[in-house]
Amino acid sequence: MSAPTLLIAFPKGRLGDDLVPKLAGTPLALDPVALKSRVLRIPTATPGVAALLLKGADLPRYVAAGVASLGIVGSDTLDEMDMDLLELADLGFGACRLSLCAQTGVTLDELRAKPHLRLATKFPKATEAWLTREGLTAELVPLSSSAELAPLLGLADAIVDLVQTGGTLKAHGLVETAILGRSSARLVAARGAYLSEPGRIRPLAEALIAALKG
Amino acid sequence: MPIRTPHFPDLLFGPAERLRRWEASLMALLAEHGYRELHPSLVLREPVPDGALRFFDGDDLVALRWDFTVALAALLARSFPEPPPRVAYAGAVFRRPLQPWEATERFEVGCERIQPEGEPSGEADLELARLLMAIPGTLGLKNAILHLGNAALVRRPLEAETLPADLAQAVVAALSRRAPHRVAQALEGHPAAARLTAHAEALLSELDGPRSLQALARSPYAALLQDDVVRMERALDGLLPILPTHLELRVDLADVAGLDFYTGPTLRLWAPGAQQELASGGRYDRLFPGLGKPWQAAGFCVRLSRLLDLAGTRPDLFEEPR
Repeated sequence: MSAPTLLIAFPKGRLGDDLVPKLAGTPLALDPVALKSRVLRIPTATPGVAALLLKGADLPRYVAAGVASLGIVGSDTLDEMDMDLLELADLGFGACRLSLCAQTGVTLDELRAKPHLRLATKFPKATEAWLTREGLTAELVPLSSSAELAPLLGLADAIVDLVQTGGTLKAHGLVETAILGRSSARLVAARGAYLSEPGRIRPLAEALIAALKG
Repeated sequence: MPIRTPHFPDLLFGPAERLRRWEASLMALLAEHGYRELHPSLVLREPVPDGALRFFDGDDLVALRWDFTVALAALLARSFPEPPPRVAYAGAVFRRPLQPWEATERFEVGCERIQPEGEPSGEADLELARLLMAIPGTLGLKNAILHLGNAALVRRPLEAETLPADLAQAVVAALSRRAPHRVAQALEGHPAAARLTAHAEALLSELDGPRSLQALARSPYAALLQDDVVRMERALDGLLPILPTHLELRVDLADVAGLDFYTGPTLRLWAPGAQQELASGGRYDRLFPGLGKPWQAAGFCVRLSRLLDLAGTRPDLFEEPR
């Protein structure tokens, strides 16, 4: 019986847009015809290796369960989910800041002084850790997207969100008031696949690092 | 939030027959090597961790047996003035699952080699490794991989640097993820950051046969770990000549699973393509002194539930039963 197809999970969205061109011309280049279709399982230039295109928040679960042997995902997502998987390399691209952002003119001290601070975020774990470090308490308003609207419409006093260039913040009249952490793309691996088949997984991991790092 | 639904495994005819056959074969193998069975009660009245399945029996909070090693240690410590040298066990343990897909009830077979404190332990460690090498053949696994590690390779440098507990925990978590960049991140600003990051890179650089040990020469703690490396080399010298053809031996310098429990050599058994280790164990010399007994111990546990799952999903990895 031949070895089953090895799956690598790639993120859709911002990180995915960055990495697809970097893979062009490598053994893990994604099939361009399949990429243009609506299929989510894409052949690569290496027989027996296929890519899965997944939403970032779902990707770690596929890798932790061993469905995909390798994956690329932002460290912000990893830190929120705390799944049991290996994190083989910091690939450096997709770098951004996890920041506390408020309307222009609102300072960090003013936010600290609020008796009932409300923060909207899709990163509750990182936000809680920062609040603990700072000795603050806050009501967390969980959101899954478009957090920039929350301070403008009175849903929250500020947001904790990823900031890459600051363009979206500026467009909504928001500024960074504190940096909570930094995020970048990470190469992750299923613990079982990596430890039980290193001869098969490590060369692919090294090819991904060579294509994507720096 | 993860969605948890209880996963209580009912075994139908095939897996039930396989479980019974594997238990019998493994216990016969252990008996051949002088390991005698002990059977700790399924219901425990000692203090139990959060991960155990607990319930009230009248006014008493009790728990189902959650770990054989711990249950056996309590039984041995209260029942024997001198340690029985070789003990075996078979049965189920019950734990609240960490992941939604994990089963609550898990079937295990295992053994322990117990000695008075201070006795040389190298031969006992080799005896356990040789026994574990026989397990794949006993179970009908076509191919397997034995990982040798040593908890001292991480424990000693952390103790030498007197890292605070939370920082040491962050380093171990990063090593468990095989992420040297996370070690550097966790130690940012600490005087030992450069040394421990270089050590992590050395530990994680190889996952191969005996030559993996050479990577430790690049560690700033090479001198501190010299005796442990010599002991690992001796173990490899004892095991490599008798390695069965279907078994591969690898040295995993960064094995930190159970680092708060293991004190020396560790053993893990994998099958190619398996998502979880199929057996694991090692030396845990602090267990019995913690119960007031001057004994040292090592052992391993075969995870029959994982093997049953593997036989269901990857039957090609197993020989047809004779």
